[in-house]
Amino acid sequence: MSAFVFRHSESPEQAARWDRRRSLATQLRSVYGRAYPRIIGARREPSWLLFEILLPFLTTSAFVFVYRALDAPAEFIGFVVLGGAMTAFWLNILWMMAAQLYWERDQGNLELYFTAPISMMSILFGMAIGGLFMSGTRAAVVLIVGATLYDVVFAVEQWLLLLAVFFLTMAALYGLGMVLASFFLLSGREAWHLSQGLQEPVYFVSGLNFPVARLGMLGAVAIATIPLAVGLDAMRQLAFVGSEHADGVLPAWMEALILVGMAALFIGLARWMLGQIERLARVEGKLTVKGT
Amino acid sequence: MSAELGAARPGRREAWAASRRAFRTAMRLGWQTEANWTDPLLFFIYSVAKPVGAAAILIFMVDIISGGRADPAIRSFVVIGSALWSFVVAGIAGLAWSVLDDRERYRMLKYLYVSPNPILLLLLGRGAARIGIGAFGAGITLVIGVVLLGLPFDPLAVDWPLAMVSMALGLVSILSIGLFLAATVMQTRQDSWSYPEAVAGGLFLLVGAVFPLLVLPAPIQAIGLVTPLTWWLEGVRGALFPGALSGIGGEGSLYATLAGRAEPSSAEIVLALVASTAVVSVLGLLFFRWSERRAKEKGLLDQVTGS
Repeated sequence: MSAFVFRHSESPEQAARWDRRRSLATQLRSVYGRAYPRIIGARREPSWLLFEILLPFLTTSAFVFVYRALDAPAEFIGFVVLGGAMTAFWLNILWMMAAQLYWERDQGNLELYFTAPISMMSILFGMAIGGLFMSGTRAAVVLIVGATLYDVVFAVEQWLLLLAVFFLTMAALYGLGMVLASFFLLSGREAWHLSQGLQEPVYFVSGLNFPVARLGMLGAVAIATIPLAVGLDAMRQLAFVGSEHADGVLPAWMEALILVGMAALFIGLARWMLGQIERLARVEGKLTVKGT
Repeated sequence: MSAELGAARPGRREAWAASRRAFRTAMRLGWQTEANWTDPLLFFIYSVAKPVGAAAILIFMVDIISGGRADPAIRSFVVIGSALWSFVVAGIAGLAWSVLDDRERYRMLKYLYVSPNPILLLLLGRGAARIGIGAFGAGITLVIGVVLLGLPFDPLAVDWPLAMVSMALGLVSILSIGLFLAATVMQTRQDSWSYPEAVAGGLFLLVGAVFPLLVLPAPIQAIGLVTPLTWWLEGVRGALFPGALSGIGGEGSLYATLAGRAEPSSAEIVLALVASTAVVSVLGLLFFRWSERRAKEKGLLDQVTGS
């Protein structure tokens, strides 16, 4: 039977009529394929070492010197270093996840994704893994060099919980990134500006350089809605045990549970939204029209 | 032969008029690109969210450490530095993003190059539009500082000549640094969107935008002292808010050690600003010309990259 015979199907995946094993292998290849240009791209463009690691480290250092100028207690320097490391992930979410589908549309790749027999979740998961390589490197450098250079003393008692909180924060953040990717795609030209507008205000309400509990009601709202705020608050409590300044909005274990809920909610929501935009793209044919 | 050379040569007056027209058009295009995607209210929120958010982080840092009893002079220093920094972020990013936008998104850079207008003029026009948006954010942050945080602003006490000279020279130096970045991203891939912000972040430390330079190690203070933005901030801060803390001087600072006085005078500020701006402008221009030549030779002007 010819491969070009018309068969009614809901999606290219269904039209492909692959068995489960082949379908899974293709999804995994898609994840690898989408992560590949980000990891290889970083190797081929060494300038990112200067612009994505050294210079952002100087920004973090500026906040360290603000605290030094104010004769702040030593833990606050640690809060800045921890916050500086976590900004790498938030920036990656905004620019390389949320705004990416919008840019893929401008580059003409989006229709290829929709017509390929793969899930959009695989594409976004690949983007996340590729992005994690770059942002993870940056975060590690800020954390290690910052802690060494500025004599930050971490006091950790529950390593497992700290690691669990970190990975849950990543899951919730990248889930949110996938949701934002669909949202930005639907919002057209505003993607660029939304990414810009979601940087400093989110840093502020997430308590990037200070305990978010000090923001009162605003901090509580941030804890309920922004994974960066919850993750940072929990990690601050777990990495500076015994510090009178690392007071959290809620106990760390409770914030870990909030992160579990957020990760499940955002990933589920992302799956639903991606299904919606795929449907819209096929039924109305509007999503792949360039917005610029 | 380039399009500029190949075109009929106009007289000096016509050429000047054409340049002004090209600059105005580029500025208008830059403004439209930045502003016409939404209604004025949302655009207002977007324009002020970033600078006000950045200032709020610093104000909270100061207030938390001082237990809500912050020295007004320190608070003013932080708010003014943070507000003025909007110009730097917007100005540096404006030129670089114009190159990336026109090469990667709109795919127009190659056409701009073959048009009879000098590319530098078009980029400066686009950059000027973004500086306008930065000025908007800076103005709102300062107004919030004066109205809500009690910054001591008295229009009659302002040293207007110093403010205007410092501002004009500062904007030239910001655009020159922007030129460096535009030249850099002409050589790099699409993912360079974050480069201007990274450079602005690095300079944020070196020029002591929100803390006096004297808290930095002496070699870093020395780098700060040869950067025009340090003198620009000092000039504008001192002119708009007479009696404000000096970012350059102070007991134990490198400046005080070298100059033998606590703070620089207005004349010194202007002189240092003129000299450092001139150096940065010439270097920026030379680097941009080199980058342009290399981009033409290697075919980078119409290169589109993915990530």
